[in-house]
Amino acid sequence: MFIGTEKLTHTYMPGTPFATEALQDVSFNLQQGEFALIIGPSGSGKSTLIQHLNGLLRPTSGRVLFEGIAVGSNKHELLRLRRRIGLVFQIPEEQFFSESVFDEIAFAPRNLGLDESEVEKRVNESLEKVGMQAEKFRNRHPFRLSAGQKRLVAIAAVLSLQPEVLIFDEPTVGLDAISRKNLYNLLTALNQKDGLTVIISTHHLDQAAALADSVLVLNQGRLVMAGPAENIFNKRKQLYELGLTLPPVTEIMHELAEKGLPVKTAVYTLQEARGEIKNMKRRYKP
Amino acid sequence: MVSRSAAIVEAKNVDYYYPGEGETVWPALSGINLTVAQGEYVALIGPNGSGKTTLLKLFNALLTPFGGEILVQGISTANEETLPAVRQACGMIFQNPDNQLVATTVEEDIAFGLENLALPPAEIRRRVEDVACLLGLRKLLRQPPHLLSGGEKQKVAIAGVLAMEPRCILMDEPTAMLDPAGRQDVIDTVRDLNKRQGIAVVHVTHFPEEAAWADRIVVLNEGQLIVQGSPEDVLTDLSLLHELKLQGPAAVELAALLREDGYRLPPQILHNRELVDSICSLERKN
Amino acid sequence: MSRSIILGQYLPGESLIHRLNPRLKILTLVLILILLFTLETYSALAAFLAFALLLFALAKVPFRYLLRGLRPVLFIALFALVIYFFFTSGGIVLVRIGFITVESEGVIEGLFIVTRLAALVLFSLLVTLTTTPLSLTHGMGYFLKPLRYVGLPAEEVAMIMSVSLRFIPTLMEESQRLMRAQLARGADFETGSIFRKARSLVPLIVPLFVSAFRRADELALAMEARCYRIGAKRTRMHEDVILPRDWAVLAFVIMLLFVTYTFGF
Repeated sequence: MFIGTEKLTHTYMPGTPFATEALQDVSFNLQQGEFALIIGPSGSGKSTLIQHLNGLLRPTSGRVLFEGIAVGSNKHELLRLRRRIGLVFQIPEEQFFSESVFDEIAFAPRNLGLDESEVEKRVNESLEKVGMQAEKFRNRHPFRLSAGQKRLVAIAAVLSLQPEVLIFDEPTVGLDAISRKNLYNLLTALNQKDGLTVIISTHHLDQAAALADSVLVLNQGRLVMAGPAENIFNKRKQLYELGLTLPPVTEIMHELAEKGLPVKTAVYTLQEARGEIKNMKRRYKP
Repeated sequence: MVSRSAAIVEAKNVDYYYPGEGETVWPALSGINLTVAQGEYVALIGPNGSGKTTLLKLFNALLTPFGGEILVQGISTANEETLPAVRQACGMIFQNPDNQLVATTVEEDIAFGLENLALPPAEIRRRVEDVACLLGLRKLLRQPPHLLSGGEKQKVAIAGVLAMEPRCILMDEPTAMLDPAGRQDVIDTVRDLNKRQGIAVVHVTHFPEEAAWADRIVVLNEGQLIVQGSPEDVLTDLSLLHELKLQGPAAVELAALLREDGYRLPPQILHNRELVDSICSLERKN
Repeated sequence: MSRSIILGQYLPGESLIHRLNPRLKILTLVLILILLFTLETYSALAAFLAFALLLFALAKVPFRYLLRGLRPVLFIALFALVIYFFFTSGGIVLVRIGFITVESEGVIEGLFIVTRLAALVLFSLLVTLTTTPLSLTHGMGYFLKPLRYVGLPAEEVAMIMSVSLRFIPTLMEESQRLMRAQLARGADFETGSIFRKARSLVPLIVPLFVSAFRRADELALAMEARCYRIGAKRTRMHEDVILPRDWAVLAFVIMLLFVTYTFGF
C-alpha cells in the first residue's frame, strides 16, 4: 500500500438542496512506481478524486492513505504531503503569473522556504527534466512560449517540488499531435527512469493506454472497475457503455478478434499491432 | 472535387496577414482559392498555425481579406451592410464551449442570434422550440449554461446557429475539449444536419478519424492550400501527412506498416472496417 | 462544484408573485418603499409589516430565508436602537444609569425606525427572492431606457449586465480552481502580515485577469459571429408583456397605499 483511499466519500454542499455526491465509497490502492490511469466520463468524479489524493479536498467520510498513514488536516502535514505528491491541473499554463520562466518554476521551491541557491538548482534541474535547456529558456516570458513549451514549463513548475508521486488531470488537452507525443515520452521517462509514481486522470486513452500498469474506472462517483490495464481494456463493451473509447488501434484488434482471428486485443500501439498480426500465422499451426 | 450546383462559400485568391512585431507582417494566408458547394462536408486539416482558424473567420466575416475576396452566397464579406446576411448564412462554432454562450439560460442563448436579427418574438419562440426538439435539448431549455456538460454546451451553440437557418456551419475544432461521448454526440449531430438538411459544413479538426467522414479534405500549411481531394486520396497519402507532422487514421497507418511486411492490401483503405475485412479475406485465403 | 454557486437569491417558484411582470414588480416596490419612508404611525407600519408577511406566505418562501435576509441589517438596527435609546430625550425617564438616561420618546422612535427598516428589507427581499436575476436586470434595463436621451447606451448596459450574470459562476469556479492549483504548488494564502497576504494573491489575480480577458475576447467574437451589432435594433424572445393581472396588482397596491396614507389608522 503506497497511495490509495478507503471508503472515500465526498459530498459537495452537504445538507442543502444542492448536495451532490461526487464520490461514494471509493477504495483502491496503488504501488510505488506504478503508472496508473483514472478514467471515466466527464462528471464521474475523476477531478474530485485526484484533488483528494493531494489533500486539496477533505473527505466527507472515509480516508485517503499515503504510505499507510491517513492524510490529516493539519496545515504543516498538508504542506509536507503536497511536497511529495505533485498535482498538475488541467491546462496548467493558465496558472502562470510570473515575468520569467525562472520565477514561474521557482514559485514552488520558494514556497517551501528553500534558500535561493537550492531554488536555482531545482529550477535548472526541472527544466532539464522536461527537455528544455535552462540557459536558453530561464529568462523567457512564460506567456510568449509555444503551447507545447508552456505545458512543459507548467509541469516543470510542479517537478521543482521534487515529488515522488505525480498526478495529472488531462495532461494533453489542447495540444497538437506532436506535443502530445512529446508529453507522453516525458511521462514515460519520469515513471521509468526517475521512478516516479504517475497517476493520470483522462478520457483520452489514445496514448495513455499503452503506458498504464493499472486502471481505475469511475462512473457517477463510484469505482466501477479496477485492476491491471489489460483486464480493464479487454472489457470493451462495458467501457463503451460508459462512453469511453479504446485507442483506434485497439478497436481494430477487437474487430479482428470478433471476426474470429486469433489475435491478442491488449494492443495499444501501431507497432504492437503490426507484430501481433504478423504473429497470427504462427498461431494457426500450433 | 465534388461538383454540386450552387457554391455557398467562395474564396478567390485570398490573402490575409496579422500585424507582427515592429514593421514585419506575418502572412497568415496567401493566394487561397476554395469553393464550398451546397450540402458539402469539407474537413480542413493542417498543423498549428497553418491558417485554418483564420480562414474560418474570413468565411464568417469576422475578418476581411487584404487581398482577393470572399463571397458567401454571392455576397462579398467586405460589405458592412450585408454582414448580417453573411453571418446568418454561415454560422460559426468555436472550440471553447464556455466562451461562446452568451445568455443565462439555454433558450435565451439559442434565441440570441434571432434577437439580433430582430425577428418577431413569436417567430423566435417557434424556431427555438423547433431546434431544441431537433437536437434533443428541450429538457435543458431553462438550465443555465454553466450546469451543462461540454458536449451539451457545444450542442446549444450548434442550436443557436441552426435557429438562424444557415446554409453552412463553420466549426473550429468543436470537439477538442470534449470527452469521447460528448465528441461522438456533437459529430453525429453535425453529420446528421449535413445529410438530412443539406447544410454545408466546414470542419477544422485534428482528429484524422473525424476528417475521414468528410466529402472533401482541404490541407493547409503555412498559409497555403497545399492539396485538396477525397479522404481516400488525401488521408492515405501518409508521406504528405507525416511531412506536415499530421497523423493518418489508425487504419491507414496500420495498413501501411502491414504492406511493408508484405501484406497485399488494397490501396485505398481508410476506415477500420475496410482494413479488418481486407485482413480477414487475406487470412481466409491462407 | 459549479452546482454550489447560486446566483443572487432567487428561489424558484410558481406563485402569482413569482409570475408578476418584473417591471411592475420593481415599480410597485419603489412605490412601497417611498410610502414606508413617509409613514408616521405605528398602526400603519404594523399593517405594512403584516402585508409583507402575507406576501411571503403567498410566495411560499420558507421562514428561514426571511430571517437570513434580515441578518445583514441586524448590526445597523442595533446601532440605530442604541443611538435613539440614549440620545433622544422626551417623555418619561425609563432607566437611569449615572448620567445616562433612557427616555420613553427615544424607545418609541427607535423601535419605530427599526421596524421601518425591517419592512424595507422584507419588501426588497421579497422581490429578489421571487425574480430571476435576468428578469431583474431586464426590468431595471427598462427603467434605464429614458437615459438614452442623455447619452447612456441603455440597451448595451442591459446586455453587459446579463453577460456578467452569465459569467459570474464560470469565473467563481475558475478562481476556486486556480486557488487549489496554486495550493498544490505550495502557496499559502493564510499566514503572514496583511502585506504578505496581499502579495500572496498575485498568483491568483494575474491568471484570473489573463483568463477573463481571453474569455472576453472570445465571447466578443462569438457574439459578433451571431450578428450582434452595437446600436442595431434587437427584439426579445420573451416579450415583456404586462398582463391584466399585473395591472390589477398594481392598482390594488396603490389603493392600499392610498388608504393607509390618508387614514393612517
